[in-house]
Amino acid sequence: MDFFPLWLSVRVALSATALTLLSGVPLAWLLARKRFPGRHALEAVVVLPLVLPPTVLGYYLLVVIGYRGPLGRALAAIGLELAFTPGAAVLAACVGSIALVIKSAQAGFETVDGQLEQAARTLGRSEWSVFWSVTLPLAWRSVLAGTVLAFCRALGEFGITLMVAGNIPGRTQTLPLAIYDRVQANQMGEANALALIAVGIVVVLLFGLSRLARLRY
Amino acid sequence: MRRRLVSIVLALASFAFGPASADADPPSLTVFAAADLAFAFNEIAPRFEKATGARVTLVFGSTGNFAHQIRQGGPADVFFAADQSFIDSLIAERVLLRETRTLYAQGRIVLATARPFGPRLTELRGLLDPRVRHVAIANPVHAPYGRAAEQALRNAGLWEALRPKLVFGENIRHTLQFVQAGAAEAGIVARSVASVGEVDWVPVDASMHAPLDQAAAVVRRSPRPELGLAFIQFVNGPEGRPIMKRFGFMLPGEF
Repeated sequence: MDFFPLWLSVRVALSATALTLLSGVPLAWLLARKRFPGRHALEAVVVLPLVLPPTVLGYYLLVVIGYRGPLGRALAAIGLELAFTPGAAVLAACVGSIALVIKSAQAGFETVDGQLEQAARTLGRSEWSVFWSVTLPLAWRSVLAGTVLAFCRALGEFGITLMVAGNIPGRTQTLPLAIYDRVQANQMGEANALALIAVGIVVVLLFGLSRLARLRY
Repeated sequence: MRRRLVSIVLALASFAFGPASADADPPSLTVFAAADLAFAFNEIAPRFEKATGARVTLVFGSTGNFAHQIRQGGPADVFFAADQSFIDSLIAERVLLRETRTLYAQGRIVLATARPFGPRLTELRGLLDPRVRHVAIANPVHAPYGRAAEQALRNAGLWEALRPKLVFGENIRHTLQFVQAGAAEAGIVARSVASVGEVDWVPVDASMHAPLDQAAAVVRRSPRPELGLAFIQFVNGPEGRPIMKRFGFMLPGEF
């Protein structure tokens, strides 16, 4: 059996989760703590990927990052190609999962008592330091929960990936695409084995994280 | 803690920009092919590899998706569509090479019955039987075999009566799975995918629907157009034809 899809999926899901954390946590903090024009519009846009069917999302994303699309052309100008590469699979997984990080982290930040942050400020802490020493430690379980959801969603991403990364064996065929392909080819044995592996990964991961969540920040 | 956390996250994020994989060498020929070709092409491709020494990567899926992807620079060298209209519109958009356009087969549809259902249906009228609670066809809005199924049912005067029983598959393999799984007692699917253990089938007369002419062409952006054309000719040649025939395709020169 070919284990490339498994390896690719783990990599894609890990890097997508890291990228969604890097971009999603600041956004969540912004939505939870700042009042600015367009905040409600931004909140709506954030959950859009959960509302739109993944294949439709993939269709539009491909129009943007394809070689005729605005982003695709800009990337091509600096010698990069994103569409139909593993990078596109990472992008697909990010788009599919970022709402989960943002909404959980935002909810977590909103429950942090603003007076505690204020107290830290009166003691001369910078905003950056307040975030790391007060806000995040108090909200970290929510951030962790969002991260776990995002990782699982990224590992299972199918529709967007199929469209923007293609389903190219040995290059962009992730675990969910490989399972689908085996079912299509009537190779149910292999499909079942791959599905079992996917379930196994998630069970082990969730078990590990539930132990980690008992730790303090 | 903070520094460790940030460095772990950054390290993981950088995965995205690392080298693609150990075998990142581009395969010599990437073929995007309609789902109905899966079984036949899995036999043809190894023979082509043996004959030419080239490596072939087969990607199966929906003709409509592939058309969109190739338009956006999808890495196909050759495109085998389930319906020639997709090939023609991509040629008009100068995405495919006109001079490579080849009619490679004509698809046939069959009436499929799930084995556990019992008696094999032998004519379309049999679908009216109340014991047949669901009839699977491919989505007639975009799937060529679905369109043919709708035409056949309309010509048989059964479309209106059967409408409440119809369930639509996304492509022809998906449609067959409804029958294979027994979720639909019967269905109309492509002859080329119908020979699986759980299903009995009888052909539907080709005069019942517009011909399912299937065409292929080489992609303009392909860096190896000769090899792509060679693959098309191989499918149409003395090695490919018997295999295509065995999977129930009508071949050029026969229709």
